[in-house]
Amino acid sequence: MLLEVRDLHVEFHTRDGVAHAVNGVDYGVEAGETLAVLGESGSGKSVTAQAIMGILDMPPGRITAGEVLFKGQDLLKLKEKDRRRIRGAELAMIFQDALSALNPVLTVGDQLGEMFTVHRGMSRRDARARAVELMDRVRIPGAKERAGQYPHQFSGGMRQRIMIAMAMALEPALIIADEPTTALDVTVQAQVMDLLAELQREYRMGLVLITHDLGVVADVADRIAVMYAGRIVESAPVHDLYKAPAHPYTRGLLNSVPRLDRKGRELDAIKGLPPSLLHIPSGCPFHPRCPMVQDVCRTDVPPLYDVTESDADRGSACHFWRECLRG
Amino acid sequence: MAEPILRVSGLVKHYPLTRGILFKKQVGAVKAVDGVDFRLDRGETLGIVGESGCGKSTVAKLLVSLERPTAGTIHYKGEDITSLSGKALKAVRRNIQMVFQDPYTSLNPRMTVGDIVGEPFDIHPEAAPKGDRRGRVRDLLDVVGLNPEYVNRYPHQFSGGQRQRIGIARGLALRPEIIVADEPVSALDVSVQAQVVNLMERLQAEFDLSYVFIAHDLSIVRHISDRVGVMYLGRIVETGTETEIYDHPTHPYTQALLSAVPVPDPQAREHRERIILAGDVPSPTNIPSGCRFRTRCFKARERCAVQVPALAVPAEFRSTSGPAAHESACHFAEDRTNQA
Repeated sequence: MLLEVRDLHVEFHTRDGVAHAVNGVDYGVEAGETLAVLGESGSGKSVTAQAIMGILDMPPGRITAGEVLFKGQDLLKLKEKDRRRIRGAELAMIFQDALSALNPVLTVGDQLGEMFTVHRGMSRRDARARAVELMDRVRIPGAKERAGQYPHQFSGGMRQRIMIAMAMALEPALIIADEPTTALDVTVQAQVMDLLAELQREYRMGLVLITHDLGVVADVADRIAVMYAGRIVESAPVHDLYKAPAHPYTRGLLNSVPRLDRKGRELDAIKGLPPSLLHIPSGCPFHPRCPMVQDVCRTDVPPLYDVTESDADRGSACHFWRECLRG
Repeated sequence: MAEPILRVSGLVKHYPLTRGILFKKQVGAVKAVDGVDFRLDRGETLGIVGESGCGKSTVAKLLVSLERPTAGTIHYKGEDITSLSGKALKAVRRNIQMVFQDPYTSLNPRMTVGDIVGEPFDIHPEAAPKGDRRGRVRDLLDVVGLNPEYVNRYPHQFSGGQRQRIGIARGLALRPEIIVADEPVSALDVSVQAQVVNLMERLQAEFDLSYVFIAHDLSIVRHISDRVGVMYLGRIVETGTETEIYDHPTHPYTQALLSAVPVPDPQAREHRERIILAGDVPSPTNIPSGCRFRTRCFKARERCAVQVPALAVPAEFRSTSGPAAHESACHFAEDRTNQA
């Protein structure tokens, strides 16, 4: 296993109390595999990624328990100096908003080149040449001339390509992409996702794709982990999950998307709202919104059960996963 | 055909680009909306889709007279409202209300929900007698699915979905006939989007509303719309009924747009034919000659650079009555049937 997150807990100390953002997350990614982490805002998907990368703001954030094993080594136990060597070189991240992730006062070529001067000790001239190569690789037209331009001179799609180039620069083993195409238009989104998938195949990288878009997941993921209120509620290979979800939340998400055969009818919305992380409901955190709720759900936190009725390796944090699977 | 409730013809909005401080000189224009025509019938939903920068939000602002058009007309029940001012304009505005995209910035954080929803009555006092307002506001909150006890709360005490309901209640306050909704659900989480879409459909039936529903999410627009207009760089490039546009698009841009939408079905990914467009949308300050889509079009030929294609039913489909016979601004329109 390339990356393994075990029982990760993250909390934030706020004026209003302790927000439990991540409450025991487990997931793993193999080399060459794409894991989609699906969840709505506040589900803890981005905080988990920040903890893995070591870029969580502490304080107010605090990792209270858990391990992040990267190639067998627990990143959380490393000194900052050692983490910095891994970050960027072996483990890279692509952010949603490229405009705020890139430095506005440095040219794109300088920012890309910095990866090589800092991590590889290259001269500025060589680094610049590599930067242009990279921009070419992510298909930015006129790379040589555009390397001297600043981020604001690029369109949204082009900026996201630069982010990808920067993440790819040192050929890392794993990339975490946090909503990489959410800010982009559909036609540009398709270009960028294609590019990312192609580069991933070529370098056999592991990819953790954080998203809320069920369509993007279906297009590119091998496995899915669905998050709700800081927990993984369902984990499964993509085909199995879309065919028959084993958790009522996943089912609710899939049903709330408009589809052709539901034209003219009401959408099956999930009732209610996602919980506040300051006051996560007792028992199963989804129980106040769940159509299948029973008494036991209000008191007992469901573990991630093995879904034994399926050949695939899948899990569901629902006491009634059998019933849910049958539909 | 009966007079539509709203008829837009040749609508243009150019924002001048100037240079110099004292002696301002116009050096160009952002052609945000550059010749848009459509009609909206009573009780129907017209969906407008397009990517960012295509001018769809400017169209919304023009419809509710937040912006004045550079050229073109908007007829409301047969009356040209583009040149109205003062009392006459105010009267029309009462009937055309707007719901905004961002439920975080479109509500005044220092006003209570009751004041926000009741504010339209301050501007149009004839809509509700003074003593009656409190009750009306509570009714409105109830109608959009919020607890009427919340009238004294502030916007920050609500979630995104609830705030959008507040925005809808404000839009409904004056009992308008038309609601222009500019990306009303794009800022919301998937599970909450469906709730708000359902609410809007229920309200439409209950109050006999006509909607102009602007969004970039093609599947939501399909779900809610009767007719759809596809915008590109300030113009509608294709328009027709929901089935005509989604199942039989004839304009290459619509075809590419539809094929690029990720489908929530992993089975589809192997045998899906996608058209990946090259490049980005050109700047609206510098619109390509001829067909404005030609710089990204996979079908572009010489004629496209010279001749502007009109938005009309293409000649080859004119004699048929099939679903491909709808307006499409392309010289080389072709039916590309999409299997659902």
